[in-house]
Amino acid sequence: MGVLLELVDLTRTYRVGMEDVHALAGVSLRIEEGEYVAIMGPSGSGKSTLMNIVGCLDTPTSGVYRLKEREVSSLADDELARVRNEEIGFVFQTFNLLARADSLHNVELPLIYAGVPPAERRHRAEEALASVGLADRMKHKPNELSGGQRQRVAIARALVNRPSLLLADEPTGNLDTRTGEEIMALFGQISASGRSIIVVTHEEDVAARSRRIVRLRDGKIESDLVVAPGQHTRAAGG
Amino acid sequence: MAIDFKESTGIAFQALRANKLRSLLTLLGTIIGVTAVIAVISLVQGMNQYVSGKLLAQGSNVFWIDKIGFEMDNEKIREALKRPDLRLSDADGLADALGNKAYVKAEASTNSEIRYLAHKMQRIEVKGVYGQFQQVDDQEIANGRPLADLDVQRRRSVAVIGSEVAEELYPGLDPVGHAIQIGNRGFVVVGVAKKKGSFFGESQDRYVQVPFGALLKLVPQTPSVTIGVKSVDAGKFQQIQDEARAVMRAIRHNRPGQPDSFGITTPEAFLGLWRNFTATAFIVVIGVAAISLLVGGIVIMNTMLVSVTERTREIGVRKALGARRGDIMLQFLVEAVVLSLVGGALGVALGSSIALLVGLVSPLPAAVSGVAVGLGVAMSAMVGVFFGVYPAARAAGLDPVDALRYE
Repeated sequence: MGVLLELVDLTRTYRVGMEDVHALAGVSLRIEEGEYVAIMGPSGSGKSTLMNIVGCLDTPTSGVYRLKEREVSSLADDELARVRNEEIGFVFQTFNLLARADSLHNVELPLIYAGVPPAERRHRAEEALASVGLADRMKHKPNELSGGQRQRVAIARALVNRPSLLLADEPTGNLDTRTGEEIMALFGQISASGRSIIVVTHEEDVAARSRRIVRLRDGKIESDLVVAPGQHTRAAGG
Repeated sequence: MAIDFKESTGIAFQALRANKLRSLLTLLGTIIGVTAVIAVISLVQGMNQYVSGKLLAQGSNVFWIDKIGFEMDNEKIREALKRPDLRLSDADGLADALGNKAYVKAEASTNSEIRYLAHKMQRIEVKGVYGQFQQVDDQEIANGRPLADLDVQRRRSVAVIGSEVAEELYPGLDPVGHAIQIGNRGFVVVGVAKKKGSFFGESQDRYVQVPFGALLKLVPQTPSVTIGVKSVDAGKFQQIQDEARAVMRAIRHNRPGQPDSFGITTPEAFLGLWRNFTATAFIVVIGVAAISLLVGGIVIMNTMLVSVTERTREIGVRKALGARRGDIMLQFLVEAVVLSLVGGALGVALGSSIALLVGLVSPLPAAVSGVAVGLGVAMSAMVGVFFGVYPAARAAGLDPVDALRYE
């Protein structure tokens, strides 16, 4: 297995009024291909900023970000869009499906921007939906689906263009406990299939499903622990 | 460039369907602008056909000489009225000079009441004719006979009447041989002219034709005449016109350097006036259309800006999924163009309907041309592109992180 991504002394500074806010103050992290990592931290710890940079939605103020051995810290907007399209699958807390479009069309979106021809697009979207157990919900619109089903559509969308990394932001935050469990079980399957996963969460239960927990505080890595498989531990607190 | 075309057009149509009243108001400016362009272009083209058709039918190789000529300026008309009257002798002199190269007639007219027994018609044009009026006018007689040279020479009290006069004054009767009272003089009808139809809603069959000498009994003083000249060889029309002008200057003793003391009017002059008029109409309509389209475009821009704001999060999601600036830009441009094209299509339908309706209820033939329709569609598409660019650029320029965080 190779290195999936490498962050070297990453900083991200926002200017709020007259003051500089250091959301990330020197983060170095290395994640191998196939890893299942949880990023945790209280609000204001910089975990959202880290997620945005890892997801290529934002660029660091200084430092280096290499994704699959490619330096992506200073790419232009459209190049970042290309990287997001090919390498990263996003799963959001609020699902972020297009309300007007049915499941199939929602899942097709990344393929549209990848320039995949319509017939193949449709075929791959159908496959992705079937793989998350929604073969019978292709023509349903988001408001005709339950929360769990919506998140499954979002996961199908995240995986449809075969990204290197599945990046999830509080994926169970809007779901009840049981449905959340189901979604996390699905994440387990996806991880078992070899896909790299990073989950940003503040829920210990969710983090405990991963193999490695990275905790942030005040823009720095506070701890970075490997979790034994299946072990629901309260990892080192702070 | 990848575009979610289905989604873009779908969204535009969905937005239109969702609130029909708001959509109508959004598109009103575009609809009015395109409607105006289509309707006016169609009507003006129709009228152009009509006018040139009628003018040609009146004889394209006839020109008229009178005191004033073809003049629109009040000051110049006042000046021209001071010129000496045109007389029958002028027409005779011209006829002699032109010989068999041209037919020459003279004519003057008055409006008068005419009656037969209890039937009466008010303000009917009574034309007094002289010379080769039959050849110049191409008058066709439906019934009876035309006025003869002898009628004119002897100033007989005989008349040829237009078909409408015949119908109204002699209902169910053949007018030929019957009396007709013109003003306070008695005449005899010798013929009825063939129906000519109307020109711009004005009937050309409401007239009475009498010998010029007979007309003089109906008017207080000898009027200035209008001379009509028809070139025998249509190809020599311009040459005959030049000759006639030279002859008239000599007859009326206009010295070299002095302006003509008469005016020459040709069908070309009428067409020129008509073209001026339609050009003005075009300019007015282009103005109205431009303002409507500007307003329509601004409304569409506003709608698109609202749409961009409402869908900030969606734009963030699309960007997260790999949409580039150009993709988002194109998506919103397509939406704006679809919106304005719907307005344009409604405008084309409405404008064509107006033109066709006018064509049905009036004598004007409305010609809905492909050019007009194409222009309307192109204009509305341009409005969409022009006013869609700014909202689309705003959408495309959104930062994905901010857009995803937008509530």
